Amino acid sequence: MKDLSKVRNIGISAHIDSGKTTLTERILFYTNRIHAIHEVRGKDGVGAKMDSMELEKERGITIQSAATYCSWKDININIIDTPGHVDFTVEVERALRVLDGAILVLCSVGGVQSQSITVNRQMTRYNVPRIAFINKCDRTGANPYKVTKQLREKLELNAHMLQMPIGLESDLQGMVDLITMKAIYFDGDNGEKIREEAIPAEMADEAQEKREALLEEISMFSEELMEALLEGGDVDIQIIYDAIRKGTLALEFTPVMMGSAYKNKGVQKLLDAVELFLPCPTDVTNHALDLNKSEEEFAVTNNPADPLVALAFKLEDGRYGQLTYIRTYQGTLTKGDTVYNSRTGKKVKIGRLCRMHSDEMEEIDSCGSGDIVALFGIDCASGDTFCDEKISCSMTSMHIPEPVISLAIIPVDNKAQVNMSKALNRFTKEDPTFRSFVDKETGETIISGMGELHLEVYIERMKREYKAEVEAGAPRVAYREAISQRAEFNYTHKKQTGGSGQYGRVAGFMEPLEEGEFEFVDAIVGGVIPREFISSCEKGFQKSVAKGSLIGAPITGVKVTINDGAFHAVDSSDVAFQLASIGAFKEGYMKAKPQILEPIMKVAVEGPSEFQGAVMGSINQRRGMIIGSMEEGLYTVIEAEVPLSEMFGYSTVLRSLTQGKAEFTMEFASFKPVPKGVSEELVKAYQAEQKNN
Amino acid sequence: MADNDLVVNNPLKALGLEKKTKDGIRSMGLVMSRAGLGKTAILVQFALDCMLLGNKVLHVSIGQSVDKTRNWYDDILSLLTDGEKVEAIPEVMKNRMIMTFNETSFSRAKFQERLDDLVKQEIFKPECLIIDGFDFASADRAAVKEMREFMENSGLKMIWFSAVRHREDNRKSADGVPAPCHEIDDLFDTILLINPQGEEMNLEILKCDECTVDPGTKLKLDPSTLLIQKK
Repeated sequence: MKDLSKVRNIGISAHIDSGKTTLTERILFYTNRIHAIHEVRGKDGVGAKMDSMELEKERGITIQSAATYCSWKDININIIDTPGHVDFTVEVERALRVLDGAILVLCSVGGVQSQSITVNRQMTRYNVPRIAFINKCDRTGANPYKVTKQLREKLELNAHMLQMPIGLESDLQGMVDLITMKAIYFDGDNGEKIREEAIPAEMADEAQEKREALLEEISMFSEELMEALLEGGDVDIQIIYDAIRKGTLALEFTPVMMGSAYKNKGVQKLLDAVELFLPCPTDVTNHALDLNKSEEEFAVTNNPADPLVALAFKLEDGRYGQLTYIRTYQGTLTKGDTVYNSRTGKKVKIGRLCRMHSDEMEEIDSCGSGDIVALFGIDCASGDTFCDEKISCSMTSMHIPEPVISLAIIPVDNKAQVNMSKALNRFTKEDPTFRSFVDKETGETIISGMGELHLEVYIERMKREYKAEVEAGAPRVAYREAISQRAEFNYTHKKQTGGSGQYGRVAGFMEPLEEGEFEFVDAIVGGVIPREFISSCEKGFQKSVAKGSLIGAPITGVKVTINDGAFHAVDSSDVAFQLASIGAFKEGYMKAKPQILEPIMKVAVEGPSEFQGAVMGSINQRRGMIIGSMEEGLYTVIEAEVPLSEMFGYSTVLRSLTQGKAEFTMEFASFKPVPKGVSEELVKAYQAEQKNN
Repeated sequence: MADNDLVVNNPLKALGLEKKTKDGIRSMGLVMSRAGLGKTAILVQFALDCMLLGNKVLHVSIGQSVDKTRNWYDDILSLLTDGEKVEAIPEVMKNRMIMTFNETSFSRAKFQERLDDLVKQEIFKPECLIIDGFDFASADRAAVKEMREFMENSGLKMIWFSAVRHREDNRKSADGVPAPCHEIDDLFDTILLINPQGEEMNLEILKCDECTVDPGTKLKLDPSTLLIQKK
């Protein structure tokens, strides 16, 4: 049986351009998974290993998190490289869902930036213990002390440096390990030879001081350490490691490591920290929902001998066909096994089983609990649970945000049409925040997602991976409609034009629903509407909420109750009651004061303080509400809530306002009613569009 | 929910300042206590009062994050309303802006520059100002006087400060205002002191020129919620 204490499933998350892909590349090099180092935007044309999609290589960003496997000393590490753009946060969130621990990479110059705040929030949501790695200590302006302070102040982490840099910026030589009290240098062409020496004399006092402060801080996690400190004298290093590990796993302490991945400094020590301080699968309790016991939560065992529970967290269509990345939580999965997909209820036979190393693979015969592996040729969607049929269960559902932006795509020719369908089928399975449908009225294919960049990347991927040339329309905001008050309806549908007629009367009321999209309540008594037509009524109402009458947007948050009605022994039918319900909804809807809701984005703009006024002005002009500003030395972060419809093209505006020195991130916050003026314009535009069609 | 539902038993009313705030008095107040006893909670209650009266509040937090400050508002409002969040009440939310500074980066001049940006562009024109975390120990009389002049010149109705007193520093003014504000107490119209005694958290009114309650009136804080109550 595999020793799970020797397994680490970790993610690497950070602000874009903090160098996390470079860091992953170095990790793969030092763990002998690759034998040469390529840069992200490398001149050698090879590109970093983890950025396997062409597009990622071209843009120098990581879009899809590729999973990879490596060994460090006697530890097996599964690494998920995660994207830094907020538009792809579902990737980050999915990665965090299946990970046990993470490395939060920060730039020693930029420090805690807006994206780090988002990523940290996500890690907190999924209780992921983390190590901070302050990268790029070789850059001009590097200041790991400042970044550690920011980790404490901005991210409210109990972060403490376990190392001190020896030299900084271009003079970065190595670091002092505050636990072993040794100076560490990285020699050889690629920093592969680690040399330990005595701490430089001029740094000895400061190092001692910092070590004492560190030990005092972590002593709260270990009585043994506290006693040892009180007694004085030498403290056993293992006791210190244990205390840090305990604090880290409890999410009460964040060890801070540092270095420069690009200059090959500090990466091996970070790997040691992964082994020492991040959890193994048995350190973390994961829960699944028992589908046989009305979704009762139970803790998975991690025991390879127990029935299988595995989560498909990522799909990819690569050069080897469809790949499904799974994480096993208990049980063992062996080649040739038949497993049960708890969502579809279908049995699936496991063909090939592989460990993935970015876009290369290594076939294996079986994998145990805690492993992250890829399956071939399995038809499933992202987020599906595979389990033993005996214990029908599902891993807790992931937090999936609703799409906020959509655009029409038109294939340029027939060939593109076929390829586009294939691509959309794949992408929608891979990414639950990316959706596509055909607009029945216009016949156009509409794609929707989490932001302009999100959709742009999929359009690019269609062209590159599926040779599907498409023309994209202008992005559109995904509006919703909602009622704002209770309203009654009483509608009779009657049609008698020869032959059998249609008759149905439906009465009741509709009211706003605080949580959820739609709820139907049957309060009919005395059979005034026969049982068999109740579902017809529900169908009719469901059809009605798909498209509101203000601007044709889906209606959200409405509860419909029917409490009266009438039928005719001959003329009542399924269709008659569906039509009566549609009529009833229309009647009640306008009385219920419907309003248009628009997606509001949480926007964080970060830039030099001198531009604060200009940035705030630009947000104000966009109907944004400024929540606050955080001034940090020369930089200010402005947090605001801005309607998505006002954010198109904002990056260009921001660039010109701030001489390119500010950047922004945004993520969906909520749906809120649009102001009256905007609402009137939207309704007018919709009516004009309807007229033209 | 009607905003007025919340304007009951509020701290401004407890001090008899509510009507005067509506009428537009200019008043500079100070809440003092040892660290960690609930100064921010009181400032946030004053701020919420002002916001519910329809005034715009700029909350300047020195040394705390925007999120942390926002949580204070959510916590206090949720106690007052049975779980409401500020974000859920747009009328309240639009009356608040939070500005945070590092301990080292705050200065009146810099703050004024930031405020000018807001006012000139008509982004936000505060009527009440909350300054939490101002370092009175290193500020001289002139700096505090400047803030008072600033209030008078900028059309603010009131400014509330918080100040930390230290257990070991026993200096006091004639009115009982403890250090570090004992020599500048004349610059404030209202000074409150959180003074825990046994199980009770007393809120003493050390000075209140505009209050319609008698000086010496004792209020207290609920120790679990930190809401102001009459004794």
